[in-house]
Amino acid sequence: MTAHVMKFTLKIWRQSGPNERGRFVTYEAQDVSPGMSFLEMLDGVNQRLLGTGEEPVAFEQDCREGICGSCSLVINGIPHGPDQGITTCQLYMRRFSDGAHITIEPWRAKAFPILKDLVVDRSALDRIMQAGGYVSVNTGGAVDGNVLLIGKDQAETAMDAASCIGCGACVAACKNASAMLFVAAKVSHLSTLPQGRPERARRVTAMLEAMDREGFGSCGNQYECEAVCPKNISTRFIAVLNREYLRAGIVESGRPSEPESPHAESS
Amino acid sequence: MALTGLGLVVYVVFHMLGNLQLFEGPHALNSYAAFLRDMPILLWAARIGLLSMAGLHIGLALQLSIRNYRARPLEYTIHRYRQASIASRTMAISGMALLLFVGFHLLHLTAGVIDPAFADRRDLEGYRDVYGKVVHAFQNPFMVTLYLAGQLGLGLHLSHAIASSVQTMGFEHAALNRLLKSLGPVIGVIVVLGNVAIILAVFLGLVR
Ligand code: HEM
Ligand code: SF4
Ligand code: FES
Repeated sequence: MTAHVMKFTLKIWRQSGPNERGRFVTYEAQDVSPGMSFLEMLDGVNQRLLGTGEEPVAFEQDCREGICGSCSLVINGIPHGPDQGITTCQLYMRRFSDGAHITIEPWRAKAFPILKDLVVDRSALDRIMQAGGYVSVNTGGAVDGNVLLIGKDQAETAMDAASCIGCGACVAACKNASAMLFVAAKVSHLSTLPQGRPERARRVTAMLEAMDREGFGSCGNQYECEAVCPKNISTRFIAVLNREYLRAGIVESGRPSEPESPHAESS
Repeated sequence: MALTGLGLVVYVVFHMLGNLQLFEGPHALNSYAAFLRDMPILLWAARIGLLSMAGLHIGLALQLSIRNYRARPLEYTIHRYRQASIASRTMAISGMALLLFVGFHLLHLTAGVIDPAFADRRDLEGYRDVYGKVVHAFQNPFMVTLYLAGQLGLGLHLSHAIASSVQTMGFEHAALNRLLKSLGPVIGVIVVLGNVAIILAVFLGLVR
């Protein structure tokens, strides 16, 4: 049996630094086995570049099993490539036909500046999380198991939202480069659970304000995000987010305008 | 955005329904028009309300469009959309087309600047002859083309706008989502069909 090998023509975005001009460079990917993942195929290209003394293509990756949210890449115009519900590291070359031309671009958004080649700075999402994507818990002994009972429906809904891995594909796919699906997932996850309830009004306001500060666009309910999300986060969570925000507007209107910082030490 | 937009949606629905009285003949439409004009305070209150709503809507749309434009300084070389509808991605364009169309429509049929022929004509009962004015307008193929194009813009805008507003206001329910999502296209098609029926009925000589 002869091993089946494929080859591809790749058009890859190269950019040597954040403030440099980028351009597309064409490379041949040879001896690709259909069972290789997209990132393994790029590894092969980089091996050959190293051999010729050319700078390898920078791209982000970590777990390579679809759970960490590090990998990215807009492949032929679609974030995470042609298959739905998976990350780029879980995309296999058998999905492409032999000899295909593949265009590879970084996530493009003002809030995600390009660091090098296909690597973008996604810390804007971390700063949104720092603004409110947590629950404040007093330290001490852990709560006993089964003290806080949570209904099956609630647990499932929270888990659906919590499966967001923060990859930013939703931003990359959105015509307006909006981070609404990401924020919706995080807000819905926490506000569905009793642990997240006490801070819910403050959280949603702070996270949406942080989102605006980072220069993301606004949500036009176009739902392209949902189609590329590797975790199939539903846009119904955007409705939940909007509801949370409306609720916060009503609840907070009767409160002092500067809520105390949850991190402040009580003296 | 959603609230001002929905205000305008309510208006276009009633405007279309009012216009359908064309099919009941000159008396119905002209006396309806006179009935509206007979209440100058209410009429002007409605006009001012509509204008400020439209102004707010356009102001917000402009603000958002600029923000969205800036959010992606460098476009993709290839960007393929899998789910986002064409209507949803062209709201600013269909909105601009609507703005131009509404401006023309007001100058044409409300103010009578574009075609003064029927501006002050009276019918046999002494009412302002709105019926005659509309029939005269839509016997002209140029006007028909322009108004049909306006309806195309309206249909596109509404087909995304209504379901989008529902989402913006946070309505969502597992059992109702299909209904909520179809609200836009359904209302859009009804409004456009109503208006197109008037235009074509006159143009094809069914109403004269
Ligand atoms: C008859 C007139 C109009 C109606 C009934 C209408 C209705 C609406 C509604 C309901 C929305 C949805 C808001 C949301 O997504 O939450 C909307 C959005 C919008 N409208 Fe209008 N509109 C009208 C005229 C205009 C005009 C004249 C313009 C522009 C100059 C315009 C531009 C926009 C834009 C840019 C959006 C935002 C779309 C997005 O968020 O992606 N509209 N409109
Ligand atoms: S919502 Fe989906 S696409 Fe967006 S960051 Fe989370 S996992 Fe990625
Ligand atoms: S590398 Fe971790 S999700 Fe792809």
